[in-house]
Amino acid sequence: MSQAQASRAAGDSNPDRATRLKLYRTMLEVRLVEKRAYDLFMQNLIKGTSHLALGQEAIAAGFGVAMRRDDYTFCTYRGHAHTLVRGASMVGVLGELMGRECGLMAGKGGSMHLTSAEHGALGSYAIVGAHLPIAAGAAWSAQYRGTEQVAVCFFGDGATNIGAFHEALNLAAVWKLPVVFVCENNLYMEYTPIGAVTAVPHPAADRAAAYGLDSIIVDGNDVDAVYAVAMRTLARARAGEGPSLVEAKTYRHSGHSRADPGKYRPTPEVEAWMKRDPLPTYRHRLLELAIPDAELAAIEGDVRARVDAATEAARKSPPPPVELAFTQVWADGGFAWRN
Amino acid sequence: MEELTYREAVARGIAQEMARDQSVVFLGEDIASAGGVFKTTGGLLERFGPKRVRDTPISEQAIVGAAVGAAMTGLRPIAEIMFSDFLAVCWDIVANEMAKMRYMTNGQVTMPVVIRTANGAGSRFGAQHSQSVENWAMMVPGLKVVAPSTPADVIGLLAAAVRDPDPVLFFEHKSLYGTKGLVPEDTLVDQLGKAKVLRQGSDVTLAALAAMVPRALAAAERLASEHGVSATVVDVRSLVPLDTATLLREIQHTGRLVTIEENPRLCGWGAEIVSIAAHEIFYSLDGPALRITTPHLPLPSADNLEDAVLPTVDRIVKEIVETFD
Amino acid sequence: MNILMPQLGETVSEGTIITWLKSEGDTVLADEILLELETDKAATEVPAPIAGVLTRILVPAGQTVAVGTALAVIEPARAPVTAATAAGSPLAETPTTASWPPESAPADAPRGRWNREPKFDRAGQPLSPAVRRLVREHALDPTAIVGGGRNGRIRRRDVLAHVAGAAPAAKALAVLPTGAAGRLVPFSRLRKRIAEHMVRSKATSPHVLQAVEVDFSAVVSARAKYKAVFQDRHGVTLTFLPFVAHALCRALAEYPALNASIEGEALRLHDDVNLAVAVDLNFEGLVAPVLPRAHTLTLTALATGIHGITQRVRSGKFSADELKGGTYTLSNSGSFGTFLTAPIINQPQVAILSMDGIHKRATVVESDAGDSITIRPIGVLAQSFDHRAVDGAYSAAYLRTLKGMIEARDWEAALQA
Repeated sequence: MSQAQASRAAGDSNPDRATRLKLYRTMLEVRLVEKRAYDLFMQNLIKGTSHLALGQEAIAAGFGVAMRRDDYTFCTYRGHAHTLVRGASMVGVLGELMGRECGLMAGKGGSMHLTSAEHGALGSYAIVGAHLPIAAGAAWSAQYRGTEQVAVCFFGDGATNIGAFHEALNLAAVWKLPVVFVCENNLYMEYTPIGAVTAVPHPAADRAAAYGLDSIIVDGNDVDAVYAVAMRTLARARAGEGPSLVEAKTYRHSGHSRADPGKYRPTPEVEAWMKRDPLPTYRHRLLELAIPDAELAAIEGDVRARVDAATEAARKSPPPPVELAFTQVWADGGFAWRN
Repeated sequence: MEELTYREAVARGIAQEMARDQSVVFLGEDIASAGGVFKTTGGLLERFGPKRVRDTPISEQAIVGAAVGAAMTGLRPIAEIMFSDFLAVCWDIVANEMAKMRYMTNGQVTMPVVIRTANGAGSRFGAQHSQSVENWAMMVPGLKVVAPSTPADVIGLLAAAVRDPDPVLFFEHKSLYGTKGLVPEDTLVDQLGKAKVLRQGSDVTLAALAAMVPRALAAAERLASEHGVSATVVDVRSLVPLDTATLLREIQHTGRLVTIEENPRLCGWGAEIVSIAAHEIFYSLDGPALRITTPHLPLPSADNLEDAVLPTVDRIVKEIVETFD
Repeated sequence: MNILMPQLGETVSEGTIITWLKSEGDTVLADEILLELETDKAATEVPAPIAGVLTRILVPAGQTVAVGTALAVIEPARAPVTAATAAGSPLAETPTTASWPPESAPADAPRGRWNREPKFDRAGQPLSPAVRRLVREHALDPTAIVGGGRNGRIRRRDVLAHVAGAAPAAKALAVLPTGAAGRLVPFSRLRKRIAEHMVRSKATSPHVLQAVEVDFSAVVSARAKYKAVFQDRHGVTLTFLPFVAHALCRALAEYPALNASIEGEALRLHDDVNLAVAVDLNFEGLVAPVLPRAHTLTLTALATGIHGITQRVRSGKFSADELKGGTYTLSNSGSFGTFLTAPIINQPQVAILSMDGIHKRATVVESDAGDSITIRPIGVLAQSFDHRAVDGAYSAAYLRTLKGMIEARDWEAALQA
């Protein structure tokens, strides 16, 4: 993790106590909601597929806490975390996964398309790489309107080899757009190690130079480090200095999706990364920083209770009315293609 | 009224909407300084400035993706895809993202994007720069599809598309850019989803789109003078929404339907109209429906080869006479 | 009981239904005509074998089916026939299911049940949906409507004209508007067959025409004397044709190479004269039914036989096998007063004789008392022969013999034979 350590720039200050507690709470909310999602799968209450980000929470939390409320995020089908950190409700997220009326999109999108526009969470994109140009477009809009909003775009390591990645990076750089591209490099695309199919060792950071950008690598399991990089890149974007490309090294605890037990990964590698689980390590750091265990325990109790309550509320929500399937193709609310 | 070319009408329509609404922005390859490879967008950069009229790299995914992101956050972008054939390289953004975003988010997101593109054959450009691909768009739920045939329709329908809150694919026809027509000098706003009856007859109804409209009109003249066949000609103009009310009314009136389509045979828009007619006004049909299309081929380049495969006035007249009565 | 596609001759394997004269649900009497059908050889009618109700039509007009195929079902008269069984399919009562999302139902469709309306015109061509709708709405019989479209197709405007009582827009023969002037009239099935045969014959056989003038005085005299009696006795008008037929049968006995057919590079000489007689079908075609073993028939039998077969062919009630096996053909344009006709050989025969008009002419008669001019009934007999089979001298000799027989025979005796 030498590059990660190196990424802590000299000017980066450590977050204050309140921010650190917020970072811990945010990571915990994501962790417990995703664990609950896993349990609900096991009970067959969630159908379809689902891509959990267990182990990757620090990246979403670090940026989520650092962002301004009116900023935009764009994320992938592994997007529960990024949607929650913007403030979307747990009921809305769990309800959407369960196909209930209370879901963020009332069951019309599902796990891979979580969106909460009112929170600036402008979509989870299930086609790898598609949202990078779209995030650039939102940044262009902010630039044009002069609002100093920033668009943050999360994507996996696999997206760095798709054309849209390069088209978006180039356009954002040429137009100096206020966008931060965040590559969550969890070392595997789906099943194949990213290193096996990429010409450079750091799939995002090593490409930054091609677009005149700094190479930024951060330890994606260290939420303080992520937070610091987020603050720095967001400020740069807001100041009109253009885009950034951040590569956050991380690791997912489970397989690619519900269907994948992740057996292709060597056990020592998995064990090493499990020891670097961002939640216990951060809790340990907070205790070292003299934050009382009871205070952390209270946060944990509160988050757990909120996840339980959200689960209950989502379970009680009815499935969406069938009529809903025939709405919102068009802005008039309907789907008519003829008169 | 003044006479404008179809080409000039494009810039006029964009300018009309940009002058009206600050949220309208325009991006694409070679559209600003160069004024467009088909010279359709000259003068816009000078009038509206580089913030609103932006040249892009050759990055169709970035062009359409940027338009989508901008539309989601309050702008009304017009994106140009130089040749409609190139829609294939950004089809994910068009078909998977732009078209479905409102539906997937249950209405959280609005998508007022217009993608303008030069469509169709007749310029001897060969198989990758000549296609009529409006049917690609027609098949995707969530996309509106328009294809004007006259300068006035270019302005009116472009204005309607820009003002529409939903994504619109606006297919300009390359071989019509040089054609002329009368255009009112004041603001012109038409309506999406309205077909136009250009000529009323009693024997057969011809439904045509874009460059096939003038050919249908010419064929109708010859059918009348040479064969005593009286044809109605409907300019379909909008594939989605489709003005089935006008089409079915005009087909019922004559009892006979002929679609004249530039696209290759399979799954052309005419097949949908024939299918609707067969279902809904079957008992008003007085004979078999006829689809006149380009054969199911890629387009060749040489003059005589391209002319041989496109529906020409001669072929339209011949096929109608052969199946008539 | 089932009504089957009949075997209309030994060589016929299938037939096409031209029109149904009865509809499903109609009561029919025994021997009442149910339908008309056509084969390659002929058109004919099919009567009901029993009285009853025509409950099902299994093969619609226009379709071609094999011999033995069930065409329809007749329930015997005493069997109770209910509306339900007449309606046929149990599907008739199946309610339509609602569809989601709701799409507008066709506003112009027949309601409530699978419709049983007529779907074909009298030529077996399918009716257009618009025509079917008008036929339903106005309770019309489509076989009574004259079509003005291609191949006589009934168009919407034809039905509207029919309803309005107007004259049809075109005659029963179809008209297609084309760039060329005039009307394009498609060939009937029979016309196509004739065309194909004529072209083949001309392409196969090098035709040579030879003609002789014949004095029919003896025939006229015998005919004048026996005509009324013959009419009374046989119910048939005595024409000139059987006289010629009688004479040529005998002449052929002397010139067998004309009663023959070519097989490869050989000539098959037939023992019998199976005389084909060309019959015009009211200008809509030509067929040549055959009188078998005509050389064995008396003049009277020839007269009645020619009359009978002509009548049968013209009414369509004949076996297809009656068109087969001819060895020599006699064609008669004489009733129209023609002077000379060059006929085309009826393949695979090698000769055909045309009889043209018989006219009174001023004729030089030679006698021991010197030449004199007399009025005589003169006709031309013209024969086309296949020059592969015989040469001109042979044909000419035959014609001379034929002429002599007609002029010199004791026809009164022949009539009494």
